[in-house]
Amino acid sequence: MTRPKAEPAGPTGPAGQPAGPPRVAMAGIAKRFGDVVANDAADLELAAGEIHALVGENGAGKSTLMSVLYGLLAPDEGEIRVDGQPVRFRSPVDAVEAGMGMVHQAFRLFPSMTVAENVVYRAETRGTAGLLDRRAAVRAVQDLSERYGLRVDPQARVRSLSVGVLQRVEILKALHRDAQVLILDEPTAVLTPQETRLLFDVLRGLRDAGRTVVIVTHKLGEVLELSDRVTVLRDGRTVARLVTAETTGAEIARHMTGRAVDLDGHHVPGTPGAPVLHVEGLTVGPPSGRPVVDDVSLSVRAGEIVGIAGVAGNGQVELLEAIAGLRPARDGSVRVGATLLDGYSAGRRREAGIAYIPEDRAATGSAVAASVADNLAIGFHRRQPLRKGWRLDRGAVREHARRIIEHFDIKVSSPSVPAGTLSGGNLQKLVVGREMAHDAPVLLVDQPTRGVDIGAIENIHARLRAYRDAGHAVLLASAELSELMALADRLLVMFGGRVVADLARADATEENVGLAMAGLATREVAS
Amino acid sequence: MTTTPTAPATTPAGRVRAVLRSPILLSVLGALLIGAVMLLGAGGNPFEAYAAMVEGAFGPTQWRNTLIVAVPVVGMALAVAVPLRAGVVNLGGEGQIVLGGITAAVVAAGVDLPAPLSLVVALGAGTLAGALLGALPAVLENRLGVPLLVSSLLISYPVVALASYLVRFPLRDPGTGLPQSRVFDEAYRMPVFAGIGLSALILVVVIALVVQVDSRTPFGYEVRLTGHNRRFTEYAGVAVPRMVTRLMATGGGIAGLIGAMVVTSVPYRFIDGALVVPAYTWTGLLAALLARANPLGAVAAGVFFAALQVGGFGMERETEVPRELSSILQATVIVILAATVAATARRARTRKDAA
Repeated sequence: MTRPKAEPAGPTGPAGQPAGPPRVAMAGIAKRFGDVVANDAADLELAAGEIHALVGENGAGKSTLMSVLYGLLAPDEGEIRVDGQPVRFRSPVDAVEAGMGMVHQAFRLFPSMTVAENVVYRAETRGTAGLLDRRAAVRAVQDLSERYGLRVDPQARVRSLSVGVLQRVEILKALHRDAQVLILDEPTAVLTPQETRLLFDVLRGLRDAGRTVVIVTHKLGEVLELSDRVTVLRDGRTVARLVTAETTGAEIARHMTGRAVDLDGHHVPGTPGAPVLHVEGLTVGPPSGRPVVDDVSLSVRAGEIVGIAGVAGNGQVELLEAIAGLRPARDGSVRVGATLLDGYSAGRRREAGIAYIPEDRAATGSAVAASVADNLAIGFHRRQPLRKGWRLDRGAVREHARRIIEHFDIKVSSPSVPAGTLSGGNLQKLVVGREMAHDAPVLLVDQPTRGVDIGAIENIHARLRAYRDAGHAVLLASAELSELMALADRLLVMFGGRVVADLARADATEENVGLAMAGLATREVAS
Repeated sequence: MTTTPTAPATTPAGRVRAVLRSPILLSVLGALLIGAVMLLGAGGNPFEAYAAMVEGAFGPTQWRNTLIVAVPVVGMALAVAVPLRAGVVNLGGEGQIVLGGITAAVVAAGVDLPAPLSLVVALGAGTLAGALLGALPAVLENRLGVPLLVSSLLISYPVVALASYLVRFPLRDPGTGLPQSRVFDEAYRMPVFAGIGLSALILVVVIALVVQVDSRTPFGYEVRLTGHNRRFTEYAGVAVPRMVTRLMATGGGIAGLIGAMVVTSVPYRFIDGALVVPAYTWTGLLAALLARANPLGAVAAGVFFAALQVGGFGMERETEVPRELSSILQATVIVILAATVAATARRARTRKDAA
C-alpha cells in the first residue's frame, strides 16, 4: 500500500461542487486509431465523494476514455490531472499507483483460487520468508467486506461463485489496492434486479466514505437512480455535464443522440388471435444428466408478443435454438399451426414458418466478412425472384438488399460493403430486417437490442410491435426487464431451464419478475 | 464497432489499392526479394537468375513443359480450393489422385473399347473413384463425428499402398524391372493438339464449370457464405453436412480426373510414385491456400508454382544456381502470407478491443 487510507468525505457534498481541485480532471483528451477518431476533445471531471455516470451511445468513446484513465491507452492529446497534479500513465500499474481502480465487464479472476487469494494478488502482505500470509489476506478481505457491505466468503473458491458475487470480488480487489476512483464498466449488465439493488447500496456506501465511483452505462434508469453527476459523450466529445438532480432522462437521451427521443416505450397491448406456436414438454440437454431446458410447454398466439425473462444462462438460448431446429431436443414437440415439426431440420422449420433473430448478430446472425447484400439474401436465394433458373440473379440480390435497407433504415453506403463495417445497431437492423422480410408467422427473438444505441432500440421496438400487429406470433427473450415490460403481452420467467412463472401483463411487476428470476417463485398461472 | 476506413472495393481506384495492399502480392514480392538477397549472399546475380527462370518457364519451347506440370498442379489446387471455399480442408488429394490414376490404368489394362469411348470410360471411372474416396471422410464426419481433416489424410496411405501393390504385381509390365504398368493401347492415349494436350483443354472446361457454379449459382453462394461463417449458414437453414459431402466429392472427383489424365498422357502408363513424388497435391494445396480458396486465384497460383518449378530447371542449366531456389521461393511465399494474414487479423482485433 503506497497511499494513505481514504479520508472521510472531505469538504465536498455528494452532489456539491468540489472545493479544492477535483480528484480527477481529464481535459481535451483525443485518441485516434488510424483514421478512426475514438476520442476528440473529451473532458471529464470527477470529484471526491460522488457517483459519476459516464454515458453515451455505442461508439461514443466511453470505453476509450476509461482506458486512457486506467493507463491502458496513451492519449494522443490532452491532459490528466489527479488532485491537481498532472500525471502520465504509462500502464495500469501507474494508474493503480495514482488510485485508479477498474471493474471490467469481463471479470479477470483466477477460478481455481480463493476469493482472498484473488483479492490480494499482486498486492500481497508477505509473511516470514516472503511467503504469502494467507491469514492476513483473509483478514483484509473480511475487513473490507464488512466496512462496505460486500458480503463474500473469503475462503470460497472463485469457480463456485455467481456472477453477482464475482463482481463484488472485483470491487474488493480494487479497494484492497486502495482505489480512490473506482471505474465500473456496464456493471449491471449481468445482474438480477435484486443483485443490482445490492450493488447500488455498496456503491452509495463507497461514495459516502469519500471515494469516487464512475459507472459507464447506457441505461438511463440507473443513471437517474444512482448518480450525482452525469457526463455525456457523443462522437468522442463531451457534449454535456449535468447534475443528475436537475436533469431528466429525456434531456440526457437528447444529448446522447443529438435529437429528441421517445423514452417511455409504453406497452401497447396487442389483439391476440388463435395460437400459432405450440411447444409441448420440450427438453434439451445431454441424453443423461441435467437438462438445460426442462419440460417447457408454452404457446404463442397470432398478434401476441410473449416475453421470456430470466438471468442469462437459464436455458433461454437453448429453448429458442431447439424451437428453431439448431439444437436437438431430447423430448417434447413443437408445432406451428397444424404442422408438427419434430425431426425437421432448421431449413424445413424455416419453410414451415419460423424466423429467428439470434442473440449474437455477428457470430450467428450474419457473416461479417460477406457483403451486406449477401447477408440479406440468405433464405431468399433459392426462390423467385432472386433465383432465375439455375442462376442467382445478382441484380435481384442487390434490389432485394436495397428494399430491406430502405425499409428498415439501415445506414450503409452501399449493399456491397462487408457487413462487418456496419455499427452494432445497423448490423442488428440488418438481421431484424432480413428475418422480418420472411414474413413468417412465428418470429423468435433473442436479445434484440443488446449493445445497440437508443435510436436503434426505438426503431427495433417499433418494428417488433408492428410485426405483432400484422398478426404474427413473437416469442421474445431478453435480459432487459424494461424491454420486456415495453413489448411483452405476456411474460414467462425461466430459471434453471424451467418456466417458473407465467404472468399476465398486469401481474408482471418488476418485483414479481425479479423474484422469479432469482428462482424464488412458484409457478403462477396467467389469467 | 468501428468502421474501417478503406476505399470500397467497388471503385476502380479502390480495387487497385486493394490489390496493391493484398497480402498475396506482398508475399510474392517479398519472397522474390528474399530470394534475391540469398542469391547475392551466395555470390549469384539475382537478375540473371530470375531472367533464366522466366525463360526456362515460358520460353518458346519451354512453355509446353510448364503446361504439362501446370495441369496436375492447377487441378490439385482446385481439388483443395473447392471444399476450402466452405472452410473444409481436403488433405486427401494424394489418395484421390492416385486412386483416379490406378482406376484408369485398370480400365486401360482390362477393358477393350474403341477410341473415344475408351478415354471417356477411363477418365469417368477415375473421376468417380476419386469422388467416392473424397466423399468418404465427409460421410464419416457427418455420421460418426470423425474429423474430416484427419481422416481424409489418413485414408490416402492405404490407397497409395494399394495402387503400389497393383502396379507391382497384377498390372506389372514384365518387360522391365520397374514397378510400372504396360504401356496402354492406342485407344487409351490422350491426344495432343498443336502441343496442347487434351488434358489441358478438359481442365479449362472444369475450371470454367467451377467458376460458374461458385460465382453464379445459389449453391456457390451458400458455399461462400459457409466459408465466411458456418454457424451463420446453418442458422439460416442451409444443410451444411450435405454441402460438405458434395464439395468433397467434387474435389476428390477433380483429383481423380487429374490422376486419370496424367496416366493416360505420356508415357501412357502407371508408374509407381509418378503421381506422388512430384508433390502435385501439396503444391496444389499451397496454391489453394495462397489464393484463399478463390477458384480463379487458385488457378493463377497453380500456374505460378508450376512455372517456378519448371523455370528452376532452366535456371539451373543456365546460371548454375541450384533449382532448390524454386522450393525456397515457394515456401517463403507461404510463410510471408501466413505472417501478414495473422498480423492483419491481430491488428484488427486490438483496434476493435480498444475502441
